[in-house]
Amino acid sequence: MFDDANYDDGFDELALARRLRMGLWKKLFTYTKPYRKELIILASCAALTALMDVAYPLITRGVVDAVAAEGTQAQLWPYLLAYAACTVTLSLSVGGFIWAGGKIRTHVSYDIRQEGFENLQRLSFSFYDFRPVGWLMARMTSDCERLSNILAWGVLDFVWGVTVMTGIAIAMLIMNAKLALLVLMIIPVLLWVSAKFQKRILGSAREVRRTNSRITASYNESIMGVLTSKAFVREAANLDEFRNLTNGMYDASVKNLTQAAIYVPIVLTLASLATGLALAVGGLDLLGGAISVGTLVAFLAYTRHFFDPVEQLGRWFAELQMAQASAERIMSLVQAVPEVRDSDDVIEAIARNRDLPKRENYAEDGGAARIESIELKDVCFAYGNATPVLRDINFRVNAGETIALVGPTGGGKSTLVNVICRFYEPTSGAVLINDVDYRKRGLHWLQSNLGMVLQQAHAFSGTIADNIRYGKLDATQDEIVQAATIAGAHAFILEMEKGYDTQVGESGSKLSAGQKQLVSFARAILADPQILVMDEATSSVDTETEAQIQQGLNAMLSGRIGFVIAHRLSTIRSATRILVVEGGRITESGTHTELMTLRGHYFELYRQQSLNQTTRALGELTLRPA
Amino acid sequence: MTTATKNDNLWKITAGQRARYGWSIVAMAAANLAMFGAPMIGKFAIDVVVADDLGLGAAVFSIPAQWLVEGLGGNLLVWYLVLSAVGAVAVTAIGGIFLFLRGLGAAIASEAIVRRLREELYRHLHALQAKFYDDADTGDLVQRCSSDVETLRVFLSSDIVEVGRAILLVLTVTPILFWMDERLAWLSIALLPFIGIGAYAFFSKVKSLFQVTDEAEGEMTAVLQENLTGIRVVRAFARQEYETTKFAVRNAKFRDHNNRLIRLMGVYWGTQDLFCNGQIGVVLFAGALWILDGTLTVGTLFAFMTYIGMIMWPIRQMGRVLTDSGKAVVALGRMNDILRQTEESLEPTPRHGRAEGAIEFRDVTFGYDPARPVIRDFNLSIAPGETVAIVGAPGAGKSSLIRLLLRLYPHQKGSILLDGRDIAGVSRQWLRSQIGVVLQDPFLYSRSVAQNLNVGRPDAPRDHMIAAASDAAIHESIESLQNGYDAMVGERGVTLSGGQRQRLALARALLKDPPVLVLDDSLSAVDTGTEARILSAFDARRGRHTTLIIAHRLSSVRNADRIVVLDHGRIAQIGDHATLIAAPGAYRRLCEIQGSLDEQIANDVKRTRGGSHV
Repeated sequence: MFDDANYDDGFDELALARRLRMGLWKKLFTYTKPYRKELIILASCAALTALMDVAYPLITRGVVDAVAAEGTQAQLWPYLLAYAACTVTLSLSVGGFIWAGGKIRTHVSYDIRQEGFENLQRLSFSFYDFRPVGWLMARMTSDCERLSNILAWGVLDFVWGVTVMTGIAIAMLIMNAKLALLVLMIIPVLLWVSAKFQKRILGSAREVRRTNSRITASYNESIMGVLTSKAFVREAANLDEFRNLTNGMYDASVKNLTQAAIYVPIVLTLASLATGLALAVGGLDLLGGAISVGTLVAFLAYTRHFFDPVEQLGRWFAELQMAQASAERIMSLVQAVPEVRDSDDVIEAIARNRDLPKRENYAEDGGAARIESIELKDVCFAYGNATPVLRDINFRVNAGETIALVGPTGGGKSTLVNVICRFYEPTSGAVLINDVDYRKRGLHWLQSNLGMVLQQAHAFSGTIADNIRYGKLDATQDEIVQAATIAGAHAFILEMEKGYDTQVGESGSKLSAGQKQLVSFARAILADPQILVMDEATSSVDTETEAQIQQGLNAMLSGRIGFVIAHRLSTIRSATRILVVEGGRITESGTHTELMTLRGHYFELYRQQSLNQTTRALGELTLRPA
Repeated sequence: MTTATKNDNLWKITAGQRARYGWSIVAMAAANLAMFGAPMIGKFAIDVVVADDLGLGAAVFSIPAQWLVEGLGGNLLVWYLVLSAVGAVAVTAIGGIFLFLRGLGAAIASEAIVRRLREELYRHLHALQAKFYDDADTGDLVQRCSSDVETLRVFLSSDIVEVGRAILLVLTVTPILFWMDERLAWLSIALLPFIGIGAYAFFSKVKSLFQVTDEAEGEMTAVLQENLTGIRVVRAFARQEYETTKFAVRNAKFRDHNNRLIRLMGVYWGTQDLFCNGQIGVVLFAGALWILDGTLTVGTLFAFMTYIGMIMWPIRQMGRVLTDSGKAVVALGRMNDILRQTEESLEPTPRHGRAEGAIEFRDVTFGYDPARPVIRDFNLSIAPGETVAIVGAPGAGKSSLIRLLLRLYPHQKGSILLDGRDIAGVSRQWLRSQIGVVLQDPFLYSRSVAQNLNVGRPDAPRDHMIAAASDAAIHESIESLQNGYDAMVGERGVTLSGGQRQRLALARALLKDPPVLVLDDSLSAVDTGTEARILSAFDARRGRHTTLIIAHRLSSVRNADRIVVLDHGRIAQIGDHATLIAAPGAYRRLCEIQGSLDEQIANDVKRTRGGSHV
């Protein structure tokens, strides 16, 4: 479902499949380290199975020869015993390798996935900026499965295939070297043809997957956008476009299946050359008395046994190469180093403090728990090597103060807040908390003291209460109701069918945009944070509700540090200080009155909020960029 | 016939491809016959050589062998052996050709069926009533359209022929075995029914486990997806540990279920091998005893062993195949759950082309759940070209009115008229083409900006497009994108802000130039300055469209011809700004909030005048 073959992420599948990368597989193979015992069982059971596969024709040969040579005097019971022993051994080893392989496969996949998940929780936002959710999902689901399959069953196929082929070769050579060499000549040819074909088949299978992921995406879009498609009467046009995809899928699939349909007969026919050779040459030897009839029967049986291991090995090599892109991608995720992380000193401090008795007023990293002030000194920030989004930002805020950020969209307001919350770190300059560079403090301490309400409010599936409780996992029902009341959400929640226990649907689909914002606000209130960030948090809320929230917010902000980004200046007016952020710089800074007196950008913005002014200013405004 | 009855069961969906399946199975049979030839040739050759009696050989090789001896000289037995060897290869090659034909036939047949199903599902998803999507889970729907279709495809492309092959094999091999040696034949097939039944019993038992494992995987994926989409909230509340534990539980559950499943498979295959090799052992040793009697030839025993090996595999596979068909039936059922849902009804398109734009709601009552109406006895008449604004608290029924107007949902009572014509009697497509709508949470297709703008009017000239984008105050933002109007939107392209998405959706509706324009809280994420520009553009367009505006900001609504205050599905107040502000009520409260702001602003401006630098 989460294939991403259409998304160019810089990993070229075909280029990466060109040659076998041993280093990469060695790295991946370390994931089987905790399962050494199972790995040994897997390999020995595989080898044992292969040996049994080789032994059966030998027993048959013994029986046939005994009967042919000794007639009624033949003692068959040793063979019977051997046969029974082989059969039991085979059954046990088949069961054994499936058990061991299954354990390796499922556990390795769990381990990679868990490691990936934990790293995803650490990685900076900058990692997410360039990777869509679908891409990450594909790594964590299908790629994990694919690689763990290769690691477990690949070992099996390899050990089994190699042992069977070696075993057959040795058995044949011992029985009759000349005939054996004749017949074995065909194996390299078979292997070569097999690997060539399998690679081609896997290549066209990739095209099938690619088209399939487009089809899935198309279904997804058709469901997500169904109202829009209906409103714009797009039904027929969309279906036409979809038909192109299904026709492409038909062509790709038929091509893939045709290749497979050609491959099997060709390999079978090649293998039958060995049977023919064994029959003709072996028959002549039998005539001449050079070999026994049992040997000929065994040779004929062996020639048919080539096919399986050759096919398996061919497929395994091809899959190994084709999966290299998956392997590189998942390693890029698991091994990515978070740009924002605790320094070694901080990690050490946290470890030291863990053993000490808990002290009041001190955080887990040994520093003060309370945030008294935040100061930005010459902060600059750029995403990657792009042009800076923030330049020379300087300001200080103390506990109990609220900073309002205003300015045009794209001016850097949200980025500034993200830097303060240490989701990004400054490219140059520093953010000081209690006059200490926040890079010298624990990341978790800072961020667990945050409360954020974002414009694109996010709701998790579950009940409304669950969503609010996310701010404080052990909150009582009373606390939840209290937070919802302050956030102005209580009234609408009570009107819902099941009140606080109403399911919000996936991503909160059953709530309107405004309702989601109110729930998010309640969540932040419940978290009782030292820093509260409101990023366009009430844009979808009606004016009356907003006015109510305003009171709650004012009460909430006392004693804390607040950052408010808003377009509605009624929210902003009461801030301790207002910063106008334009083009990544603070262009105006001061109290409401100071900025009004300045008659600059803030003054213009503020005046626009007045209805009477709006109408009057319209003509003038349309001539200016917003 | 509706789509659902056409796809009722596995037999019905093969309609149109049955002939192709027929020849695939025949080709498979021919391939099998040819493949049996090789061991038979081996048997004859061994017997001929061991007994030194050409009479034991196959006539197809012994007669030409005699000709060759007469023509070229040499040993008769040698020629026989050479011909047998060539025959074995030739027979395999011929079998291979049939095998290829089978593969091709099955591929074309299954892909054609699946293509038809995919297209039907897609068409149907577009034609379904909007109601269906209220409780629909997107992930689940997509899974039905992708994984379930894939399950069915696997069944159609390999399993149908596999079943045919197993049946054909048993039917052809058994007579050959009995023809060669009756006693040994009975022994040879003695354990086969148990193997087959055992396989079936096992796989029907683990079927529930398959399902449990699938569900565990689904749960894990859901937690993962939610974590990734909400990663900013996770970080903002430093909930990494909580999330990691939550995920680990699901991850481990999937691992353990999957592991248990594989372990059971281990037991199954181990036991199967015991039985299968036991069967071959019985034949080997019984055969050996009969050879001692002189009642069986070595060649016959060799042929027996080979044939049993041949039918053993497909019979072992039957268990899996039967499970697969079980899964295919379930998958088809899940698809039919969608296909059986009622589509929107089809009504005739009115003869006149463009509507005037007169809208009337008459005693309209509606509830998503009819017992809890959200619109009650709603009456409103809107003249062509008029602008009506609707305000009200969340849940008052504002968006529902728009859904009714678009006929996305059927109202329970009353009627809605467009140009005096009941919309329940006209084609939905025509109705919707008369209305340009900007939804609250606008959806954009993952295509280029231009293609998104064009959806309502694919043939719109470039300058119209730019004009619409300028009116929606988005033209400059588009121009500033790297590829301008050709920039891709969505995950694989640029990420647009909420306000940009709203403005793009607005431009899309304006470009359609419809008689009726509907904006559902479409400027909420747009800053005040931009809003003012958009409103002034609207002013210039006044009279061109009948316009319905839902908004929270006074600035967006106060210039409307009439303003409707909606409260719990009823009109609480109606009138223009001047009328409403004069009467006590919700609207006046709204104005007072804004009014006190205005006053403040005026005061502030006045108060700070002294320090002006301008």
